[in-house]
Amino acid sequence: MRKKLPKFSLHFFCLLVYIFLAAPIVVVLLSSLTTTDYIVFPPKGITFKWYAELVNHPEFMQSFTLSIIVAFGTSIIATIIGTMASIAVVRYEFKGKSVITQLVGSPLLIPSVVFGVALLQFYSWIGIAASPIALVIGHIILTIPFVMRLVVASLVGFDRSIEQAAMNLGAGSLRVFFQITLPIIKSGVIAGAIFAFITSFDDLTVALFIVSTDVVTLPVRIYTYMQYQYDPIITSISSIMILLTVVLMVVIERVLGVGKVFASKN
Amino acid sequence: MSYLCLENVVKTFNKTEVVKKMNLEIEKGELVSFLGPSGCGKTTTLNMIAGFLEVDGGKIVVDGKPVHLLPPNKREMGMVFQNYALFPHMTVFDNVAYGLKLRKVSKAEINQRVLEALEMVRLSGYEKRYPKELSGGQQQRVSLARALVIKPKVLLLDEPLSNLDAKLRQEMREEIVGIQKKVGITTIFVTHDQEEALAISDRVAVMYEGRIEQVDTPAAIYNHPQTDFVSRFIGEVNHIQAEVMESNDDQPCKVSFDGYQQVLSHHVPKGVLSEFYLRPEKIQINLENNQGLKVLVERKMFLGSKTRYIFLNNNQYLFADISNTVFNPDQIKEGQEVLAVWNPEDLLPVKK
Repeated sequence: MRKKLPKFSLHFFCLLVYIFLAAPIVVVLLSSLTTTDYIVFPPKGITFKWYAELVNHPEFMQSFTLSIIVAFGTSIIATIIGTMASIAVVRYEFKGKSVITQLVGSPLLIPSVVFGVALLQFYSWIGIAASPIALVIGHIILTIPFVMRLVVASLVGFDRSIEQAAMNLGAGSLRVFFQITLPIIKSGVIAGAIFAFITSFDDLTVALFIVSTDVVTLPVRIYTYMQYQYDPIITSISSIMILLTVVLMVVIERVLGVGKVFASKN
Repeated sequence: MSYLCLENVVKTFNKTEVVKKMNLEIEKGELVSFLGPSGCGKTTTLNMIAGFLEVDGGKIVVDGKPVHLLPPNKREMGMVFQNYALFPHMTVFDNVAYGLKLRKVSKAEINQRVLEALEMVRLSGYEKRYPKELSGGQQQRVSLARALVIKPKVLLLDEPLSNLDAKLRQEMREEIVGIQKKVGITTIFVTHDQEEALAISDRVAVMYEGRIEQVDTPAAIYNHPQTDFVSRFIGEVNHIQAEVMESNDDQPCKVSFDGYQQVLSHHVPKGVLSEFYLRPEKIQINLENNQGLKVLVERKMFLGSKTRYIFLNNNQYLFADISNTVFNPDQIKEGQEVLAVWNPEDLLPVKK
């Protein structure tokens, strides 16, 4: 008989891992509450003044809005393209299919610095100036693999006779897609959209190469700000980013169930 | 002209013809089974009728109108799938109502027709359930209601019972036939289960390698197989050989099965070995006189209402199924020699 790890030590190790994972986040959240005008942990006293102070830094709010817009645009377009590509890859045989699959997956393998340099080169070569659109295009390339991972997983094992049944009952192909296929793979598509949003919203490396003085996303703003100053404004704006991400994860959990999204078969 | 006609229908996959110039006529209200081993083209044919596969030649005509060029959503066929294919994100009610909504039927009428359809398949009260909350049999009944509620011209059933367990399968098949007769809908039933096909069909089309071997009533298929494949595929047969003793053109011919002489009504040329198929249940044991084929009782298998005997004659096995009420199996022992007898009319000539 195999010896079972005593329950106590199992729980203990789990707890250690959780603490290790969560500690940095907790440090950021708590140190944003400090009353000192430098970042310190544990915080000295508790105040929300650094959050109020953000109002005096419109450039942070601007960047925040820009990041949200870019992430939103990226998420929608990447989800549409990714979903269509997933259907093509799962259901059809065509020439160059494996090439496309590899190509689409490559942003996951290529370091994003390299991807950022490549994008910068390419944009200056074809003459696209730094703009939110240019950034969205870069992020779409970056996030399509995430969308495809999740959508492909929900398409594998999809019983196509369900679509045939709808056709048989009189539905044309568009109707079949929107009334039958899409609702059934919904969890994968929504999860893909949210992951695309988070990836774009969090991206620093690629954005660094594309920014200009008027196109500065929030991560880039935080990064450049930190090179000159190190006050709790940084931690307060970081806390807002963390909370937004947490809210999105909770939405996934509530709407779909995280387990369901990753287990991914119905 | 019949209600549903297949005229020289051909289907080719990768240069091999899987359905070869198939012709079939089905009358209105008739239930016809496509029966055959896997790969015989029965499901392919059904998919061509439903429109999920294009025909590569020939015509499909329903009610006088050619339909083989229409997309599946314009064909007015109701299909029931092997794996039910219910819409998992819709309730039972919405599943059944789907086809009616597409036809822009009024809400009140949809409501009424869906409830009627669910009542017909004995699922009243299940409207708000989701498919995953139902058993396999219930799911298949929803699928049947969904197909029938649109009043299709033809009902297509693709191995609808093969995912159910044996007992439920029998109940469901009787239910399907009952509903089919009540609604009076022209139906094609694809199955590889011959008992199922024989039990429910008005006619059975036995298919093999892309061809229809024989289309006939179940009794005719069983008792008068027209081809060698049908003889071997339907039911079980013993393959036996006889020597032709006497044969004149205008006289019945006399044959001998290893000394067991019989007179046949049909003519076989003299001096050849003639081959026959003989069904196990047509064989009896003779303990009264010395007429019959001498066989050794190799094994007895008690099967409840009947007993299967495995006989041996000249290194040839012969299977016999004899009802235990007709013949008490305790009368003979394994290893004993007995006489096997049959009626010459039950011999099925081997067609080559």
